[in-house]
Amino acid sequence: MTDTSDISDEQLVKYIREKDKEKYAEIIKRFKDKLMRYALYLTDDYHLAADVVQESFIKTYINLNSFDIKKKFSSWIYRIVHNEAMNILRNRSNQKFPILENVEFDSGINLENDLIKKELQAHTHYCLKNLPILYREPLSLFFLEDKSYEEISDILRLPTGTVGTRINRGKILMKKICQKLKK
Amino acid sequence: MSKTKKINKVKTKKFDFERLIMDKVKSDKIVMKPKWYFVIGSLLSFVGFASLIAFAIFLVNVIFFILRSHGPMGSWKLQTMLNNFPVWVPIAAITGIITGIFILKKYDFSYKKNFPLLIISLVMSIIIAAWMIDKFGLNENWSKRGPMKGFYQKLELNENFYLRNQRLMDVDERRRNHPRW
Repeated sequence: MTDTSDISDEQLVKYIREKDKEKYAEIIKRFKDKLMRYALYLTDDYHLAADVVQESFIKTYINLNSFDIKKKFSSWIYRIVHNEAMNILRNRSNQKFPILENVEFDSGINLENDLIKKELQAHTHYCLKNLPILYREPLSLFFLEDKSYEEISDILRLPTGTVGTRINRGKILMKKICQKLKK
Repeated sequence: MSKTKKINKVKTKKFDFERLIMDKVKSDKIVMKPKWYFVIGSLLSFVGFASLIAFAIFLVNVIFFILRSHGPMGSWKLQTMLNNFPVWVPIAAITGIITGIFILKKYDFSYKKNFPLLIISLVMSIIIAAWMIDKFGLNENWSKRGPMKGFYQKLELNENFYLRNQRLMDVDERRRNHPRW
């Protein structure tokens, strides 16, 4: 059996498509925690997030042949999770999502020392939860998932300029929310 | 390990995505759609988009053709024009353009561009193409020969019918007002 742990996501997709579909487990292994964390920021409900991620992995597998391996696979799979979460949120727009008080997020990335990132690290859940989804999504992708503007643009299907604007506005809102929390 | 991290770990274990999904993959409960499915899908959406744009150009051109034949300020009176104008033509043209824009939005690249500018460019291109067809007299040729001959002739017959009626109504009105006329 070929060791696929070192190859890029895109090469792995090619391998799964052409040679061994069972290697899809490696994709799941690579992305499950990241996608779960992202879905959790969007839905604020652990079980709902798990449903979103599971459904996304299924859709990803079914549509794997439509992925263009010249592009970034992570942006593609994040996009699928985004769509899935948005569908669920739209269907449940009138329902209030429960707040997770006892779940801590391990982003798995080294946060830089600027104020926003510190604020995010310390009060992530509270601050993000209170942000409108419009800003919550690009902010969580940028600060916590460490995605570039270009990748966020691909995930959210927004022009890079709009991504920048939303992140900047989100930062201002975030500061206000976090400052309120301190008081 | 902190208490919260432990909780998180326990909850993550509850969702064994690898087992849940790989069971379905191995048992063929979920199957990858073949490559040709997506190729055909892309081709059809491209052909659909191109056809809609061609359709919109044609219909906008028909509007130019009708306006030029009789001219909004010409022999056609405004009321006659309103009564006679085939309303379905602009409606179908606009529907074609809107559907075209909807398909365009589905394309990967569209969000990277300035979408309002993309729409304006598309609509302008349709109008310019339709105007050029009219300017170079292609529609005149089509009205005399080719598969669209019948369509143009029907349009003209329809207009002539209304024009004749309008003229008869004008004559009647004049006779009523000036009995010696």
